[in-house]
Amino acid sequence: MKKTETTTEYSLQTRLLFAVSILLFIFLGLTGMVLDRAFRDSIEAGVAEQLQLQIYLLLAYAEEEGGEFYFLEDLREPRFGRLNSGLYGFISSAVEGELWRSDSALDLQFQDNQVLQQHVATGETAFTTIRSADNEQLFAVSYGILWEDGESEYTFTVMETSEPYLSEISGFRASLWSWLGGVAVLLLALQLILMRWGLSPLHRMAKDLKLIESGEREQLEGVYPRELRGVANNLNLLIKTERKQQARYRTTLGDLAHSLKTPLAVITGLMENLFQGRGEVLSGDVKQQVAAVEEQLERMNQIVSYQLQRAVTADSSSTLARQVRVAAVIRKILDALVKVYADKQVHYELDLDETVIFPGDERDLMEIVGNIVDNAFKYGSSMVRITAGVAESAKTCRELVIFVEDDGPGIAPDKRQFVLQRGARADTLATGQGIGLAVVTDIIGSYNGSINVGESDLGGASIEVRIDLVISPVVVN
Amino acid sequence: MKLLVVEDESLLRQQLVQGLTSAGFVVDDAADGKSGLYYATEFDYDAAIIDLGLPELDGLSLIRQVRGMNKNFPVLVLTARGDWQDKVGGLDAGADDYVVKPFQIEEIKARINALLRRAAGFAKPKLEFGPLALDLSAKRLTVHDRMVDLTAYEYKMLEYLMLHPGQVISKTELTEHLYAQDYDRDSNVLEVFVRRLRQKLDPDQTLRPIETVRGQGYRFSVPAA
Repeated sequence: MKKTETTTEYSLQTRLLFAVSILLFIFLGLTGMVLDRAFRDSIEAGVAEQLQLQIYLLLAYAEEEGGEFYFLEDLREPRFGRLNSGLYGFISSAVEGELWRSDSALDLQFQDNQVLQQHVATGETAFTTIRSADNEQLFAVSYGILWEDGESEYTFTVMETSEPYLSEISGFRASLWSWLGGVAVLLLALQLILMRWGLSPLHRMAKDLKLIESGEREQLEGVYPRELRGVANNLNLLIKTERKQQARYRTTLGDLAHSLKTPLAVITGLMENLFQGRGEVLSGDVKQQVAAVEEQLERMNQIVSYQLQRAVTADSSSTLARQVRVAAVIRKILDALVKVYADKQVHYELDLDETVIFPGDERDLMEIVGNIVDNAFKYGSSMVRITAGVAESAKTCRELVIFVEDDGPGIAPDKRQFVLQRGARADTLATGQGIGLAVVTDIIGSYNGSINVGESDLGGASIEVRIDLVISPVVVN
Repeated sequence: MKLLVVEDESLLRQQLVQGLTSAGFVVDDAADGKSGLYYATEFDYDAAIIDLGLPELDGLSLIRQVRGMNKNFPVLVLTARGDWQDKVGGLDAGADDYVVKPFQIEEIKARINALLRRAAGFAKPKLEFGPLALDLSAKRLTVHDRMVDLTAYEYKMLEYLMLHPGQVISKTELTEHLYAQDYDRDSNVLEVFVRRLRQKLDPDQTLRPIETVRGQGYRFSVPAA
């Protein structure tokens, strides 16, 4: 069963930064709006208060006779007397409309002509904004009074152009938002620094895990914050348990192999002893049966070997597999084989990239290299060439490539697939067929790799192994 | 040639001892690593066959300790698992070759012969000294290309001497490497064998390949032609 994940996940830092930024912008935006509103309200309240004073001024000096208003003295506020000064006074009645306007307002026209005919109850004050015919905004305060005769109700209105106040508000607004912007940037920068500091134990843990993966560390070391301590301890326990289990599994397999293969060796020896030198005495029938028993013994041996190797392989593609230096393993195997094939005096050529790593268990790499190089030594006449390095691949960009060539008779093109056959069951292997390359094919399969047999320019076979360096090993059930 | 076999499975050990003895080897056997180490320490062997999965002291540690004592006889490792970690581990610890279980006794004999020959510095399975040629695989002697009949003991003695050319081999050493422990060491049978060998190898007494070194033993050498 294969399982791959292709979702792109944002990092914790990006997520936190994103969330905090949104929060920060909402908070600062609302703060800005509230401050802006408060300032505007306070300005308008100030304006209303001032205009109210002007109304009292008008009230103090106003004289009425026959429904007409006049002022005996000059008003203390000169802006009432100056045309288009920006401060305008009106006296009106809801029934008769406008009764008096100050000199400053002689030119003033409104978009809504009913503006001065609105009724304001006695003693009440109304604050509004209105627009002149020139589309100028004006603040207006109207005050309803009951005249001395006890009957007539009039409305005193003072208007002032909002221009200076609006520019004051927009000045405030500009400085408010630029300050808030500055604060936002500062807070974001602070947030980033704090987050890095806050998340640094997680970064450290990730780094430590990488070191464990690369085999440079055995477990998570160092002091972690309280919240992570449990995770670190559990991870350490998991790693330890996994390694222990792996070791125990292998020991058990070793014991099993020992206890199965030793009796097989005994039976083989007994058969040999029983029938040694009695070839002529035995009848054809018995000979056939002896041959059948020997064949079955050989088959049992192959099944045991094959299944044990497979079991070890399936177990080893663990997520916490270490990374193994390929060159070192190849040299180890070569040292061993040179000893074993001392009689043959095989010369070997090495072209190894010292930095290239195998993304998995050392045992697996040893099985791959051991079986392939052993074949090269066995079948080669006098020359073996081993090349190991990294190549670009279409799938993942980088892959490990191991080339083993010899100058032996080579493998005929029609046999090439056969020698690599990956037996799902060992008993599908033909009798006499070595299990070495089938096991190699299985191991390489579990690492998403490929193996190819070709012809070498040395004259013999060339075996090419390719294993992805990026995709993690697939778990084979 | 004297061999040490260390294997815990008694039937398999018996088979090995029997097969190797019938092939002309003198064999000591041990059932666990500790007694294997005792034998290897106390006696001198030409080669050893050691199983990797041993009780008391495992095969790898046994080989390491033997090598640590500067015992350089060739070691053939028997492995049940047969994976490369085991093979490389054994060879790395100081073994010279491996055989994966189960095996045919013939394979063991062939490997041991090859190891003995290699240890003596011969690359080919035929030892040639002037007109004398000893074929280790066929166990056959030719002098001037003529086959010479040898008894089993004569062959064993000649093989041992020819594998240690130029060295003085004491009578005790010869006895130990050619006969089982309970053999009567005072017997003068060695001298009888040497005399008979000299007659068969060199009837004209021109080569004198086996020299008696007074008070020390025998030395095999053939002067360059």
